Amino acid sequence: MTELKSYTLAILASLWVVVVAGLAILQPSALDVSTVTTILQFSTILGLVSLGQGVVILCGGAGIDLSVGGIASLTSVVAMQAAEAGMPLPLLPVICIVVGAGLGTFNGLLVTRLGLLPLIATLGTFYVYSGAAVATTGGAVLSGVPSYFIVWGRGVVSGLPLPFLTLTLPLFLLTAILLRFTAWGRWIYALGFNERSARLVGIPVDRVRLIAYGASGAFAGSAALVGLAWLGSARPNIGQNLELTSLTAALLGGIGIMGGRGGVIGILAAVLLLVTLQTGLLQLNVNSIWQVGIIGALLIIVLLADNLRFIRRST
Amino acid sequence: MSNPLDWFGRREALLAVACLAAVLLFSFLSPYFFNAENLSAVLSNSVELLLVGLGMTLLLGVGGIDVSVGVAMGLAAIAVGRLLQAGVTPAVAGLAGPVAGLLIGVGTGSVVVFGRIPAIVATLGLYGVYRAGIYLCLGGDWLSGLPIGLTELVGTGIAGVPLAFPIVALTYLALYVALRRTPFGPHLLAIGDSEAKARLSGVSVNRTQLLAFIISGGLTGLAASFYVATYRNVEMTIGGTLALEAIAAVVLGGTSVIGGRVSLIGTVLGVLLLRLLQNGLLLSGVPSLWQTVVTGLLLLFVLGIEAVQGRLSLTMLMRSKSGRLASRVAQ
Repeated sequence: MTELKSYTLAILASLWVVVVAGLAILQPSALDVSTVTTILQFSTILGLVSLGQGVVILCGGAGIDLSVGGIASLTSVVAMQAAEAGMPLPLLPVICIVVGAGLGTFNGLLVTRLGLLPLIATLGTFYVYSGAAVATTGGAVLSGVPSYFIVWGRGVVSGLPLPFLTLTLPLFLLTAILLRFTAWGRWIYALGFNERSARLVGIPVDRVRLIAYGASGAFAGSAALVGLAWLGSARPNIGQNLELTSLTAALLGGIGIMGGRGGVIGILAAVLLLVTLQTGLLQLNVNSIWQVGIIGALLIIVLLADNLRFIRRST
Repeated sequence: MSNPLDWFGRREALLAVACLAAVLLFSFLSPYFFNAENLSAVLSNSVELLLVGLGMTLLLGVGGIDVSVGVAMGLAAIAVGRLLQAGVTPAVAGLAGPVAGLLIGVGTGSVVVFGRIPAIVATLGLYGVYRAGIYLCLGGDWLSGLPIGLTELVGTGIAGVPLAFPIVALTYLALYVALRRTPFGPHLLAIGDSEAKARLSGVSVNRTQLLAFIISGGLTGLAASFYVATYRNVEMTIGGTLALEAIAAVVLGGTSVIGGRVSLIGTVLGVLLLRLLQNGLLLSGVPSLWQTVVTGLLLLFVLGIEAVQGRLSLTMLMRSKSGRLASRVAQ
């Protein structure tokens, strides 16, 4: 397992070096502290969502959460609507996380109680959540985020953005510790690796999985909070394409699609790689469509390389 | 559900009733709904989704999936559009769609089958690659105001019947025969049921899976020709939600997402129900923004009902056999 992890991290790190070197040659002026800040700022939201996606996939049982983007969008809209309806503004973070966790738990109930396939259950909720976010606002942006949140959302301490420093990084470290050193963490790996034996040794499989979906929702909700504080308004399309990008980040980061394999530090590395690539292409004035293509190709190439390694070993 | 190929089961009956109920309901709600013009518009709006959905039915049946069909349709549509611009006869340009689709199907299928990457992940990556391909081909522009030849060809059709009708009927018939009368059908279902078991029984897993991707690609390309004929332009965002819509329609139709059961007629009814609802809601004054919410709720509702029913019948089964089960567990 550790060998696998270091292998993934080595690949990601060398790809990252290639990207940075390419940027340094093509656009030397881009190598600057402000670029680092920008990269980390953009990594904050994607990182949070990918973390949840990764935990859901780790739990196995064909686990996947296509609704993460929808949760982020709907949460930010609901939070601002609650604020307009007279909810005290300091409660904004609480409501974001609670709403996100609630929407995620609904996914979890569909999967664990009704036994729906995660792909289809979260496809359905993806439609419902993202559709509701756009439909209830008519696609309009809701403003009115109090300034003290914006101070946090846009704050930078020695080149590091505050949301990344105070939310994304701690949550990644916390999840890594939980996964590695607590019974719950080991249970997640166990049921992802072999659900049948996990059940037989008495692991509460359904409850662990339910909590994983709830956590994914809560992470997406906190991503919505970052979006609110950073942009100063609730955008009903804040979560657009997050399902694809977060899936790419999780899989690039070494999470096995069948579950039970991989770690969250890999996800963080993958997120940084993806955002560095995006920022670099932006600096070079390359159309954003190319990013989608390059990310897609990267995903396939990394998985092909992964497969080849296994084939070589097994023969 | 005894025979996985049963052509009209409980789900299909439920969907047919739902379609009828939708027609009745919307006839009450809107004076513009129940007339030949609107209903034929619903049908012609269903053609692309139907063709793509039939291909997706095979893919889900074999235990695969393809989330890149929308952008694949976009690429094929560009081929058709460029040929039309170059002044090629409409019939040839129309045929270019399926040909381009077949080639894309070979590409997608090869990555999934020979690359041994789970279909959902591989096609997700290819979605990005094809999307960039569309940009490369269009250069950030739209193909618009395409020559009207193909539109006329499709619209005039044979003896006054729009060309879409015989083509969809023939496609359906061909797939039906392939599933029922050739080894392809049983092989497909066996792989969808359990790839390992199918492999051990001597089924050529790779060939069957690749074939399913190629057929789906061809049908997607055919859909592209109809798309160009209908809209006479190709935009950068073409096919954005098509894959998810197709998956939703196929799953509504009773095809199992984990493979092992396919229902072609279910897919037809699923597509019809989706399009009827979208059209009816719009005419009843519901803003189009709510369409995705309704699609999602419908999907969850139908599958939820089925899951609850399945659980109930399972409980009854357990109760009647509880003695035997208990003894088996004790051993």
